Amino acid sequence: MTLISTHARAEASDLVEVERVLAGDTEAFEGIVRRWQGPLVNMAWRYCRDRARAEEMAQEAFVRAWRGLAGWRRESSFSTWLFALAANVYRSELKRFPTVDVPLEEIAEPVSAAHQYEAVAEQRRCEVVRRAVLALPMRYREPVILYYFHEMDVGAAARTMELPEGTVKARLARGRELLRKRFPHLNEADAKATSTVLSTGREAPR
Amino acid sequence: MRHDSDRETNTEMERPKMKSATKVDAIDRILAAEEELIPSSGFLAAAMERVRDKAAVPASIPFPWKRVAPGLVLAAGVIGWGAWVAAQFAWPALGEFAQSSPQIPVAAVPSLQEAGWVALAFAVSLGSWMLSWRIVRG
Repeated sequence: MTLISTHARAEASDLVEVERVLAGDTEAFEGIVRRWQGPLVNMAWRYCRDRARAEEMAQEAFVRAWRGLAGWRRESSFSTWLFALAANVYRSELKRFPTVDVPLEEIAEPVSAAHQYEAVAEQRRCEVVRRAVLALPMRYREPVILYYFHEMDVGAAARTMELPEGTVKARLARGRELLRKRFPHLNEADAKATSTVLSTGREAPR
Repeated sequence: MRHDSDRETNTEMERPKMKSATKVDAIDRILAAEEELIPSSGFLAAAMERVRDKAAVPASIPFPWKRVAPGLVLAAGVIGWGAWVAAQFAWPALGEFAQSSPQIPVAAVPSLQEAGWVALAFAVSLGSWMLSWRIVRG
């Protein structure tokens, strides 16, 4: 089964179930929740990095989607509409109850650890960088979150934010620049690892 | 991360595709290769429970514009009429007052008194209309 046909099948299922829900069959919404729970929870997770809260926000997004289903005008795919709606829900939820914001300047850059702890240190390093995204100003944070959520697809991020691609690109560039400035040694470590892989054909320990 | 139904078996998340012309660096590698979070087992049931709860709540009663409309029209008519009458009485009196006469002419006093009563009626009508509007809107 190719990805495209699977995607088309999911879109067709969405359409059928949306029609059933609009006809008054609330239970048909279960198929939609089942299909989209993963993406919506993961998207919420990237907004708050708190599992319980992410699930709570995703549930709220599903309730809003159920309520607003009649408002989907079918101009875009169901997933595009659902992601845009979810992004709105997450944005307003975080405005009401913000995540604990640590200023970007106060986030320490991860330092190299002893060899036996390198796997743990690598995990920690990644988590620090991911959490640093939450310290970005909101106008840069959201493009960064959605760009990586959509597999580095600027167009998809722009559609979810309902903003022009150019605006998202500019904000994304600024957001990434802020992160790079905050973690200047990350790229050096990464370049060293890459050059070792190129010269030896084996991944270098980090 | 793929956003379709077979996403749980998809491993493409580890190899981010570049759909923009930006250079991939350590930040990209870290942020794109985030592990997928699997929703908890009770998520589906909890979400559907919330949807069912919302579905069980009867739809809110729409505001009865058709019933309110005649009252609104009547109130607007009364207010308009009151304003017109007030203007009729008050205008000559104001004109006389403006003609550099510091004293109110005797002839104008009854007109002013009537205008006062009309203004009072106008204010009471307006107050009553605003109160009923507030009660109706809850």
